[in-house]
Amino acid sequence: MLRYESDVVIIGGGITAALLAQKLLELRPTWSIIVVEAGARLFDNQNRLTYRKRNLDYGENMWPGDVVPDQSARGVISRTMAVGGSALHWGGVCNRFSEEDTRLHSMYGLATDWPLEWKELERHYCEAERRIGVSGEPSPLAEDWRSEPYPMKAMPATWNLIQLKAWAEQSGIRFWTTPQAKNTVAGYGGRGKCLRCNTCEVCPTGARYSPDWTFKQLLATNKLQLHDRTLVRKLALEDTGTRVSVAQASREDGTGAAVEYRARTFVLASGYCWSPHLLLLSANSRFPNGLANSSDHVGRYMTGHLAYQATIDLDAKIYPGMNEQHSLISREFFRCKPDQPYVRHDLRVWENAGGRGPQLRDAAGKVLLGDALISDWRTRTTRGTARVRGYFDAHPDRDSRLTLDAAAKNRFGDPLPVIQHRVDPATAARAGATREHFQTLFARLAKAGDGRVGQISALNYQDHPAGGCRMGLDPATSVVDTFGRTHDHANLFVVGSPTMPTGGCTNGTLTFVALALRSAMVIAGVDGPEANSRV
Amino acid sequence: MKRRTFLEAIAAVIVAGKTTFARQPGTQTAGLAAETRGAQAGLAVFDAGETATLNALADTVLPSALGAGDRRQAVRAFVSWFANYKPGADMGHGYGASTLRQPSGPSPIARYPPQFAALAEAARTRGAASFAALPPPARREVVEAFLNQPQPVNRLPTQPTGANLVADFMGLYFNSQDGWNLCYRAEINRDACRTLDNSEKAPAPIKG
Repeated sequence: MLRYESDVVIIGGGITAALLAQKLLELRPTWSIIVVEAGARLFDNQNRLTYRKRNLDYGENMWPGDVVPDQSARGVISRTMAVGGSALHWGGVCNRFSEEDTRLHSMYGLATDWPLEWKELERHYCEAERRIGVSGEPSPLAEDWRSEPYPMKAMPATWNLIQLKAWAEQSGIRFWTTPQAKNTVAGYGGRGKCLRCNTCEVCPTGARYSPDWTFKQLLATNKLQLHDRTLVRKLALEDTGTRVSVAQASREDGTGAAVEYRARTFVLASGYCWSPHLLLLSANSRFPNGLANSSDHVGRYMTGHLAYQATIDLDAKIYPGMNEQHSLISREFFRCKPDQPYVRHDLRVWENAGGRGPQLRDAAGKVLLGDALISDWRTRTTRGTARVRGYFDAHPDRDSRLTLDAAAKNRFGDPLPVIQHRVDPATAARAGATREHFQTLFARLAKAGDGRVGQISALNYQDHPAGGCRMGLDPATSVVDTFGRTHDHANLFVVGSPTMPTGGCTNGTLTFVALALRSAMVIAGVDGPEANSRV
Repeated sequence: MKRRTFLEAIAAVIVAGKTTFARQPGTQTAGLAAETRGAQAGLAVFDAGETATLNALADTVLPSALGAGDRRQAVRAFVSWFANYKPGADMGHGYGASTLRQPSGPSPIARYPPQFAALAEAARTRGAASFAALPPPARREVVEAFLNQPQPVNRLPTQPTGANLVADFMGLYFNSQDGWNLCYRAEINRDACRTLDNSEKAPAPIKG
């Protein structure tokens, strides 16, 4: 059996792990840190252009090899398992939550409050934006104040977004460009400048932040060990006491060889699915329901957000396909007036090419060839189309759960997780009003530009999922404290998305990272008001 | 041969081809041979007769704004797609889905031989030696029949599927960057990398 010892073992190799490791090594440069990731490292930058082309031409995986086939879960929304995690192929959207997201109970009597101060989280938002490299246009709303400017100037609005902004703002709603983890200047973070390749999921220039860049930089300093293709299957405790002593793993390289990791501190950075899963798998005689689970809250309050979206046909000349991931955002609906039915959401606008392609037959069913096909196509694209979407917060029920599925096991015989989201009664009760709100809102947008709303659809899964190890001050109703330290085990932390009590109403990645960076202060044992203020 | 009889003949050939490839081990070998032919011969995945048919098809179904060189380029793009096709490729996994996609299947080119044969047969029934030898109006009639029988093709695939040679050829061109540029009469160049400069400007116009 292979055995390793270090000061810190970070389990999981995604974006929170990468940036947590980076910060820990800055705070504690003499510490030894091992990152253990079940998936492979895909560091073959030289092949990105090829993968991109094959994805465009054949629909092949733009990140080949980014899965562990038998490490699956019912209810997950991404199968990516590799060094870099889901952020290998994220779109790079870096929206912040708002203070309301952390004060739902105090302000609206809903769900629960987060056990931290907004000002403190805001500082870590700034830090996350610096480390990732975010280009953005500040919100014009006073409530969206920020203590530092964006690290980079905003991605310029495209022709299409300029047309769409002019249209959308006729509704009286203000829009601006979405902040993104994409370089608008050359060299930020050692990466290139965006070339608007239109394939942000596999950025051929490195302009879009990807955690593999951070890992490669850390590995180059020889300060970090990265053990990929190694699945941590169980955490074991010391013979007496509640401290975690060892992480037991198996190699995913075909040998299945056993590996043990011993450390002073263990950090779970495996995301909303695999973090609570490992805690449940680690049940023992003293913690029969799983580690960190004396409250029976591990795997509960699985959260995320839902969405309504629509296409709107409008009187504008749109040329789809020139940086089409770039979008507009309005944060005007992050706040909900007390005298209005509760609904909070972001509002995004993109150019749209869906349903705008060439058609083989005309409306009468006659086959179109050559010039007739082009003529028909041009007629249908004289006007432009926008795609609009609002993520709205959907608060989790206590029984919104991740559990072990005894009927599904991986190659090692470990039961795999199953996630079943369930919104709380208050969210369910306002579902009709939420739908009506979006119908009215989309109609308002359309009307302003002589537009027509197409079919409105609802997202059929919870996006940017989180939860499962929610933070709180009361050990009876939470799994970790405000810094991610588990209530039950002093040397075991959970960081990032699993710790979130609620999922907000906009993209979550920046918040996952900000929370992890905040945890780093305590993991590193850094003294000061930040480490001590809320513990 | 009367028109109806001719259409029925095309339909019969296509149906037979589908059935045969699905059920007969012997023709599986034919499919593999076609793949091997493509892999070994680089871009020469279609023989001379088939290439002539593709060129004639391009002349028939592509817009008149395209010159002869553009139409030959469309054929080369079609040929190249098959030459570089990889069966068994990792097709990734969709965001929002718990399951993995199946690896890519055998090359769709294996389903084309009976369809090329059907086009040739249609030409012969009209007194021509090949599809390419037909006059343009007759080619259009054959192509329309091909898209209507045995089951009407209603959508252009974004990538070849093998189900209908004509639809596959048209789909690959019209869904390409060049196809979209032509529709919008602008150099959108959808998947080209470009600088952030001039983001605010509309793409340059093109003739067409």
